[in-house]
Amino acid sequence: MTGARYIADPEECVQSVALDGLSVLFHRPSGMTHIVAPPAPQILEALRMGPADAGEILARMRAWYDLEGDEAADAIEARLEELEAAGLVSRP
Amino acid sequence: MSGTDNKENGGSAFVPSRRTVLVLGAAAASTVVTIRPALAQTAGSVLNCQIPVPGPHAAGSYIGPDGSLVAPGTPGAAPPLARPLNGEEAKVLLRGSTPAGVNPQSAQAYANYIRRLQAGMSGFTCYASLQMPR
Amino acid sequence: MKHSLSLQIGPVAFRIGSTWAAPLDALARLYAGYPEPDRICDFTVRLEPESPWRRWVRPSVAIHGDYVLPDAAPMSLAHGLLAAEMGMNLQMALGQKHYLLLHAASVEKGGRALILTGESGAGKSTLAALLGERGWRLMGDEFALLDLDDGRLRAFPRAVSLKNGAIRVMEREVAAERFGPRLDGTPKGSIRHLRPNPRALEAMAEPARPALILFPRFGEATAVRPVGQAEVFMRLTQASTNYVSLGGAGFDALTKLVDACPSAAMDYPDTDSAVELVETLWEQAA
Repeated sequence: MTGARYIADPEECVQSVALDGLSVLFHRPSGMTHIVAPPAPQILEALRMGPADAGEILARMRAWYDLEGDEAADAIEARLEELEAAGLVSRP
Repeated sequence: MSGTDNKENGGSAFVPSRRTVLVLGAAAASTVVTIRPALAQTAGSVLNCQIPVPGPHAAGSYIGPDGSLVAPGTPGAAPPLARPLNGEEAKVLLRGSTPAGVNPQSAQAYANYIRRLQAGMSGFTCYASLQMPR
Repeated sequence: MKHSLSLQIGPVAFRIGSTWAAPLDALARLYAGYPEPDRICDFTVRLEPESPWRRWVRPSVAIHGDYVLPDAAPMSLAHGLLAAEMGMNLQMALGQKHYLLLHAASVEKGGRALILTGESGAGKSTLAALLGERGWRLMGDEFALLDLDDGRLRAFPRAVSLKNGAIRVMEREVAAERFGPRLDGTPKGSIRHLRPNPRALEAMAEPARPALILFPRFGEATAVRPVGQAEVFMRLTQASTNYVSLGGAGFDALTKLVDACPSAAMDYPDTDSAVELVETLWEQAA
């Protein structure tokens, strides 16, 4: 499946702190702060390996985690849209 | 919360798996909250503000249901307010209620107008985030 | 400016100028015993007539200074003292860059600080003022200043702004000499200012390490609830006037604060219960 490809900013651009199961992110280029819940931080992690679409991200995450959820591909797509709206990922 | 912290080391005789479970969740669930500047919370107790509706630059314009400026007499539009709103009244509107002296039918339009105030327009600085990003 | 007064409050020096003498006379009496600023002022506040003839006819005080809100409504001369206080608040809210500003009250005991934060009217000012008379040192009732470098709280003990019912509560506790005039008919109802006690003034330059964050709420049956760290973080960004403008430094300071400090939401039906609850939670946090 080839959907839209996304890219994430390099690691140096985002500062991340874990607070009780959630991640608080400071995105340096925009100066904005976001609170993100799993699987969003894991998707960002997967994107740091290089540009990818939802299917490739799913594959990368399967290598690290046991994924659970009936709507896997849809969920990843939805998360990517959210992350894009927040300015944390973009489509080149 | 989905288990991204693997803390199952205590008591196991064998090396615990490095794989943790990641629940992807429903597509419809939202997982990103962006910190937005606080409107009217900190400003409200700092100063006594007034917001003319509409601002002096648009005197005579009516307020559309979505808060934008429209020509007088546009169907569904709310009329200009005779006197500016104060901080408390603006807060009431933003909460979805109607302050005394305001037509309930117009409350939504006025609330949306406040939300749409851009920097430089009259009334905005009161409610601006005293912490707008530059 | 015809009249002026300089004040040092914690690490911040203000210069307040005024066209009329009365507000500054009242301010000087309220701030009796505060140190003279030992440096050039950080912020200026100016109380000016709304328009030239409003200096004399139904005198109307507009609040000006280094930072202004153009849409601020002017105030009557009778409320000039309140205008001066609001002017100082405004300078801090818009201009403070050296500390992360939290809209919170804070008190100190044993070198550690308790932060009381939440919506206006939730009772944090009154609670802090009361604790200040019950063995705690009042650090501030309006703004808590978080040091960006070492994460400690700096004291900023302005006169406590008591509203409506809280006025009576503190009048029962504290000698009349420490109060400013009672101001009725302000946009927030009745207000009376209270000077912090000598202990708070003496210790004004001593910072304290934050040890507990509480979200107090007056008017409910006694209850305590934990608050998730991410929620605390979120609520504190909403209570800060300069979090966003401080960028990465603000993020670091606030995440460190939330990570290091336990927090809880507490409901209380009356002030005595509140004090008791605070002491209990403080002990648990130690």
